[in-house]
Amino acid sequence: MGLAPLLQLADDQRPHHEPRAKHVIYLHMVGAPSHLDLFEPKPELARRDGQLCPERFFAGKQLAFIRERPNLLGTPTDDRDFAFRRCGESGAPISNLLPHLQGVADRLCFVRSMRTDHFNHAPAQLYLLSGFERFGRPSIGAWVHHGLGSPNPNLPGFVVLVTGQILGAGNSAWGAGFLPTDRQGVELRSKGQPVLFLDDPPGMSRDERRDTIDAIRDLNGLRAARTRDPNTLGRSLQYALAHRMQSSVPELVDLTSEPQHVLDLYGARPGARSFANHCLMARRLVERGVRFVQLFDQGWDHHGNVFYGIKKKAKQVDRPIAALLLDLERRGMLDETLVVWSSEFGRTPMGQGSTGNGGTAKSMGRDHHKEGFTIWLAGGGVKAGHSFGETDDLGYDVIRDPVHIHDLNATILHLLGIDHERLTHRYQGRRFRLTDVHGRPVRGILA
Amino acid sequence: MSAQDAVDLHAVRSLLSDRCFACHGPDAAKRRAGLRLDTRDGIQDALTRADTGVSELVARIDSTDPERVMPPPDAGTTLDATERALLRAWVEGGAPFVDHWAFVAPTRPEVPDGAPHPIDAFVHAQLLGTGLTPAAEAPTAVLLRRLHLDLVGVPPTPDDVRAFEHAHAADPDGAVADAVDRLLAQPGFGETWARPWLDLARYADSNGYQADQLRPSWAYRDWVIRAIDDNMPFDQFTVEQLAGDLLPDATLDQRIATGFHRAAPCNVEAGVLPEENRTLQVFDRVNTTATVWLGLTMECAQCHDHKYDPIPTRDYYRLFAYFNHTPLEVELPSGTTDVSHDFVGPYLDLPLSPAQEEARRSLERDLRDAETARDAHRSAALPDWIERNRLAAENTPTWRTLAPADLKTTGQEEVRFLDDGSALLVGPVPDVATYTLRLAPAEGTITMLRLEALSHPEISGEGPGRGDTARPNFVLNELEVTRRGEPVTLGAAWADFSQKGWPAEGAIDGDPASGWAIAPRFGKPHDLTVSLDPPIEGGELTVTLRQQWGRGRVLGCVRISVSDGDPADTHALSDAVLDALRSDPTDWSHDQRAAVEAAFTKSDPRARSLEDAAEQLASDLAALQPDRTLVMEELEERRVTRVLRRGHYLDPGDEVEPGTPEALPPSTGSDRLALARWIVDPANPLTARVVVNRWWAQLFGRGLVETLEDFGHQAAPPSHPELLDWLAVELVASGWDRKHVLRQILTSRTYRQDSILGANDRDLDPANVRLARGPRVRLAAETIRDQALAAAGLLDSTRFGPPVMPYQPDGVWRAVGRNAPRWEEAQDASRYRRGVYVVWRRAAPYPSFVTFDAPDRASCTVGRPRTNTPLQALTLLNDPVFLEAALALADRALAEAPEQPITRAFRRVLARHPESAELDRLRELWRARRADYERAPERARALIEGVRARYEPASDDPAALAALFHVTHVLLNLDETVVKG
Repeated sequence: MGLAPLLQLADDQRPHHEPRAKHVIYLHMVGAPSHLDLFEPKPELARRDGQLCPERFFAGKQLAFIRERPNLLGTPTDDRDFAFRRCGESGAPISNLLPHLQGVADRLCFVRSMRTDHFNHAPAQLYLLSGFERFGRPSIGAWVHHGLGSPNPNLPGFVVLVTGQILGAGNSAWGAGFLPTDRQGVELRSKGQPVLFLDDPPGMSRDERRDTIDAIRDLNGLRAARTRDPNTLGRSLQYALAHRMQSSVPELVDLTSEPQHVLDLYGARPGARSFANHCLMARRLVERGVRFVQLFDQGWDHHGNVFYGIKKKAKQVDRPIAALLLDLERRGMLDETLVVWSSEFGRTPMGQGSTGNGGTAKSMGRDHHKEGFTIWLAGGGVKAGHSFGETDDLGYDVIRDPVHIHDLNATILHLLGIDHERLTHRYQGRRFRLTDVHGRPVRGILA
Repeated sequence: MSAQDAVDLHAVRSLLSDRCFACHGPDAAKRRAGLRLDTRDGIQDALTRADTGVSELVARIDSTDPERVMPPPDAGTTLDATERALLRAWVEGGAPFVDHWAFVAPTRPEVPDGAPHPIDAFVHAQLLGTGLTPAAEAPTAVLLRRLHLDLVGVPPTPDDVRAFEHAHAADPDGAVADAVDRLLAQPGFGETWARPWLDLARYADSNGYQADQLRPSWAYRDWVIRAIDDNMPFDQFTVEQLAGDLLPDATLDQRIATGFHRAAPCNVEAGVLPEENRTLQVFDRVNTTATVWLGLTMECAQCHDHKYDPIPTRDYYRLFAYFNHTPLEVELPSGTTDVSHDFVGPYLDLPLSPAQEEARRSLERDLRDAETARDAHRSAALPDWIERNRLAAENTPTWRTLAPADLKTTGQEEVRFLDDGSALLVGPVPDVATYTLRLAPAEGTITMLRLEALSHPEISGEGPGRGDTARPNFVLNELEVTRRGEPVTLGAAWADFSQKGWPAEGAIDGDPASGWAIAPRFGKPHDLTVSLDPPIEGGELTVTLRQQWGRGRVLGCVRISVSDGDPADTHALSDAVLDALRSDPTDWSHDQRAAVEAAFTKSDPRARSLEDAAEQLASDLAALQPDRTLVMEELEERRVTRVLRRGHYLDPGDEVEPGTPEALPPSTGSDRLALARWIVDPANPLTARVVVNRWWAQLFGRGLVETLEDFGHQAAPPSHPELLDWLAVELVASGWDRKHVLRQILTSRTYRQDSILGANDRDLDPANVRLARGPRVRLAAETIRDQALAAAGLLDSTRFGPPVMPYQPDGVWRAVGRNAPRWEEAQDASRYRRGVYVVWRRAAPYPSFVTFDAPDRASCTVGRPRTNTPLQALTLLNDPVFLEAALALADRALAEAPEQPITRAFRRVLARHPESAELDRLRELWRARRADYERAPERARALIEGVRARYEPASDDPAALAALFHVTHVLLNLDETVVKG
């Protein structure tokens, strides 16, 4: 077992080059938002709304739900809420569904040419987050934690916040795979104890707990004097850390200490279980030195009633995300924090539903789409107010500067000072890495 | 040539593999300069070529020219000075070739002199000259604890220790041998040794992926435990799991064993293509088989020739061909719009358990009695009932159809008026629709109005609804009647059939959210009748049908009729029953009689309660299905196997036949059974080595080959090659006798050594590669929990059966899709069963296991990591499982040794006696707490209440118990407790 992993951190964990970001806040919209209705005005698609899609969109393609050649589905043109506005100096188009994000458009760097290879949720989530569509590989947060360690020893280096149901990939989405287990994400739960087993049992005082931990330390010490096993002292160290976490975590999750104007900025409410609270928590975590914070927000899988669903979800996340960027910026933290807004794939420009035989636009949805979708990054090391890549007039295929999910991952690592080809772990006789044998940092989005 | 002589050559080979094979190895597609360094011919060829001759090879590795140096700068790897010197010496010495050691079948090595036990002889021979000397034997109690934890997964009792110390004093070797024999025969042996095997088998109780529903295959888990308990020879253990279904006259158990490969995860998301899913599962089976038995990483060869090992892609798909003949395992349940697939594939019915068998007999008896009572009552009461209702039947109202003069709809559909007075809607299906029917004028009194929802061949799925071929339902939210624009008041509504939650009354209650629907009785006509209250006298009626559910759940063909009869006369009885009642009972058809009896039962309270009782029993009986388990089954028609280019199932290449890798001995036969037999053929150089190495690691925390999962060219060289081969040969020669091999290891001095680090150990051998001391290994997650429960006297030793759900914090299992399973915490003793029986859900395994490095079992795991984290500390400090165990342990120690409860508890956990300094420290804590609690006994009671969970303490001294709890809680948290020392 060697020395306790905590003692090993210092030597292994150094960046390969000067990092542009020290922390990551990764906002994963689980289920895949309809990027077309949020960030991609496609007049041609709107014009051809209701027409049969081109044969090549359907023939020989893998679609999750659509089984008959579908009609195109444009973003509604008769509803102001769905209009796009060219925002800020960059003129990036953002839907009126995201009024607050419109206000921070010049901080964003859009990648409008994302591609992935998987079109079912769980495999696509695993693919995006671990570079492999099946189970068993470390997640990106675990790789980063493994590669860089984490500045604050009193908190886990990789923290996960889940709003709504858990995603299909389950705990593996933040798992450590074959890396040491302590690299995995620790979920801060919004109901019950924020970290499992954090609270002392009823009837036990803090002083009594302190006495217990002291006794454990002393007895471990007596034993270690005999066995000379450094791991024994390593374990006492973990108890001391656990004890500190018992104070640092409740302090961390206690949003009542935030001034009202900050709570209002995010739309956060102490005690609520909301994405807004999680965004505010993300800032607090990064502020305390946590290396990688990953938010999962469930509920974007709009196979039906997409225009109802996307409006509702957009409203939930708009204010908190814009607030997070502004808050980080005001505190001077945005420069060293990379914020990623992403999902496992995008959604089809074709409608899913029954308009083909008489349904109304109201009930239409969009299917899973892997050929081209939009994400954005902001903060540490990426060009602000920039757009990269493009899909065709109908939003189906990438026509300029394709970015594969491996490229995105290579870029995230690059910004953190990690060469994605050099962050490897030897397992089963070969060196594994997050990007498998693929991926190159996307130079075009680096500031 | 013995392995020892070849060590340097093996080092060369492993260096070449690591730094050169990627471009000069087995992968033909990536091979550069035609140079190949992984075969004898390749090296000979290289040496005789001008461009790659001896001097050139040496020059290239020593070059400083980035254009010439090897490995090239972009290879991501370099050679250091020592490595270059090694290669130079090798090349200059003529570059002799040696086969990769693991691909040459082991032969029994000569045992060196120097120790009576062969294992010790090999180990001691290697210690010579290292500065290390073998440690003395571990203290007796420590040794016994080690044996117990290793073999049965729970610590010895103080009585066990006493007996062992006594025996050991007289005859140390005999005492150890006896203890080993005793423990190998205990039931906990199978449960303890099944755990690592189940990690390899990626055994879990759920599918994995999106929905992650539970599925039954615990019978396989039980099979593993039994097979290990029974010491099933490892070759048979292998054959039955890989191909038990193909054995002649396969027994039930042999088929259950094939659950090994049904443990592959399975994605049931809607977008999954069943064939793609199947291909992924076969990949998983090939890769898992190769890892578990051959110690080879096959996965790379899915897409390209292996970079390091002689496994071309073609060989991969030849292995694939063995597994390519089992059925699909997902299918769409119905229609095309469901959100996920069903998990299907072969199941095997298990025999009913004795308890189930008894329950079945008792239910059958009760059902017979209930049916007799029901029939007796019916015979007695039915004739009167028929007489009474005959009268009503004869007064049955008659109905007049009112053909619509017009039907307007809010949709785009076309309306056709048919000769029978109905209106058929065809053309585009609207999402929602309202139909307005203007009816032909009616005369006379109208007391009731009836809407018929008719089926028709032109409606998709025959109707009566339009929107979905598979489920042609409709939802009638509101039915309104007006006369000359004035609303007609409706009294009651009833229907021939109503879907659960969608009753007839919903169509006239004015609530647009409620309504009448008819699932699942599709494809036949239904009718809804409303009474007019008060009745009206003729006129032109308009009927409005509002259908707002969406997705085309609208009526396809409607007809309206009216009646002047008394609603009370019809209400309860269907037309079929009324028809029957009008005729002579002796003429009734079987269906008519059944309809009358059903109507009788419905209206007669006693008949209804007797019928309900019988139905309940019948449904209980039907629910008493035998348990099932997942098994492998071979299709009769064999699939053609082709190389899948880049591993993609839609891109098949050349056809291949089943076969084993060319670099290994050939197999005879082309089915899974042949493959299984080849795997355990003594000529196979890998299997026995791979298996004994894992067993060794299970005991020592480290394999003789450190890379447990890889015996290919990239494997770590064995620390004790002869010992590895000796054990492998011993395994095969003993008839693959697991207990024999373990007995050899456990009785060795090497295993029995004290595990404390000698003065120089930290410098000379921190990882204990040389084995100059005994093993110190953190316990597995399950063992940590089992140990605490056992020490506390809580452990429930019940074996086998469906997985159990002990205490788990709320919210760990969250819905991840359709029919997500729920955690139902066991309130009985099963909450204290061993960890091996705890339900394993891949998306969210049991939290304390995850914290202590258990895998999610979604893929084959060889050897778990052993980390040391604050979350582990929090778990042992605050997981209610450990708190409850600490309290029970304190209570038990007070009862067993009121004078020395601390020592007693200490020995229950750690087996040994506490040293005086340890005892002093624990006493200090105890006295402090005790003083507190005696001053404030309510705090003692509050603590006990806070930690006791389901445990009822026997002690009547809360202060003593609560104070001792602090001590036992410390004991469960000690490093020594979670470590096998």
